[in-house]
Amino acid sequence: MSQSLRPYLTAVRYSLQAALNLTNFSSQVVERHNRPEVEVTNTSAELLLQPMHISRNEHEQVLIEPSVNSVRVSIKVKQADEIEQILVHKFTRFLEQRAESFYVLRRVPIEGFSISFLITNKHTETMKTEKLVDFIIEFMEEVDKEISEMKLFLNARARFVAEAYLGEFVY
Amino acid sequence: MLHLRPENLLVQKTLTEAWNANEAGSPLTLDRVISDFDYTTLHVSNSPDIKSTLFLSIKTKAWQSISQCGNGFLEHLESKYAEFPGITACQPEQGFDYTLSVDLGQIQPAAIIQLSLLKIHAMSFAFQLAFDEFGQLSQQAQDPASFSGSDSSGTVRMLQYRDDENIFIKPSNDRITVIFETFFQDETDKVFGKVFLQEFVDARKRNRSIQSAPQVLFSHEPPLEAAPFTSSRKLDKDRRFITFVLFPRHFQTPELQFSSVCHLTLFRNYFHYHIKCSKAFMHSRMRYRVDTFIKVLNRAKVDEEDEGEQQTRRTITGRKLVY
Repeated sequence: MSQSLRPYLTAVRYSLQAALNLTNFSSQVVERHNRPEVEVTNTSAELLLQPMHISRNEHEQVLIEPSVNSVRVSIKVKQADEIEQILVHKFTRFLEQRAESFYVLRRVPIEGFSISFLITNKHTETMKTEKLVDFIIEFMEEVDKEISEMKLFLNARARFVAEAYLGEFVY
Repeated sequence: MLHLRPENLLVQKTLTEAWNANEAGSPLTLDRVISDFDYTTLHVSNSPDIKSTLFLSIKTKAWQSISQCGNGFLEHLESKYAEFPGITACQPEQGFDYTLSVDLGQIQPAAIIQLSLLKIHAMSFAFQLAFDEFGQLSQQAQDPASFSGSDSSGTVRMLQYRDDENIFIKPSNDRITVIFETFFQDETDKVFGKVFLQEFVDARKRNRSIQSAPQVLFSHEPPLEAAPFTSSRKLDKDRRFITFVLFPRHFQTPELQFSSVCHLTLFRNYFHYHIKCSKAFMHSRMRYRVDTFIKVLNRAKVDEEDEGEQQTRRTITGRKLVY
């Protein structure tokens, strides 16, 4: 892990730990409804807490939006060029299509971010909170690594293929 | 599988089957339609009268533009099969461009391979004309008396081998330029294609062992050789032009000519095939990565077994007691 990545991830970890303090909370508007308050427009100010925006640079940011019974974590993955953009898009789409096996993954990222997670009090009741934080942190580490590896692979393959094709013309 | 083979394996397999069956004394009844790259269709069928005679018909998008390249196209194809007994051209079948009749009693395995190369042989006509013209032009250039300076470039021939993708071939007195006009339908393909094409351009500079390969150039604008053909059309900005510059060493002997033509006609297929392959590889890689993420997430789950250990009672044989 590079030296500048560590403080960024540490900041995300502590912010998440602070935010993941959820309780079961029934809707104040609709009777017998229990919905993640961060996802619905609501009028009572006490349900939504102050969002936390952690930014490493303009390409890598995390937005944590806590509320009384749910937390929404949105991650912006680094996209330096066209290829990385496509790879990130393909990869996040691939994950989102499998959102039901990820429990905490949101199917659509919020505007301006690559991928979003929605953690509700149901999740913190059935899962260990510190392990959930571990998952998010590991995800952030791995995604960067995966994207750059895929890019390297594409370049290596292109080079190999081109040399093999042109090698056929050498007599 | 790194390289695509020029011969059509399915034609080869079908004909070998038919040949073996005929040798064994029980000719097969065949009516097969076989597809090849670039909207090419081949049809293998029995002659209505004699079972041991097969018809091999071809229909390809490039046919019309090849036959416009110059005279003697059909003679060129016939000459390719002249040395093999039992193969004769006949009246083209309805809906196809060209038909060969194959007498299974007379042909040899070597002829079967040549038959499966039918599409390449058809495409090679345009290249053959360029090779011939190159010979004349280089003769002229060597002879100063007849050399008139400006007349050193030959005619450009266009092969329309797909709906809107073309090959341009232009002989000069010291080289032959082959230009591929291509475009990408898919956004992802476009970006991947850019990476691949860039490597094609750079490969020769980087690797000393392939210095003698043709030079490859890549541009968004039509090169001057192709300009007369493209100026009348409206060009969208997704077009790419890939230029191969063949030097005399790439087509000195008929064998070299043949292998150069094989590789050039398969260039687009090869290139797109590897783009698809890398996409497929990435897909399987992502699948693996998703599995590891799910494993990490599952570690977070509270194990129900641990929590309920005190409450669950078991019988002496280890079965759970259900109340």
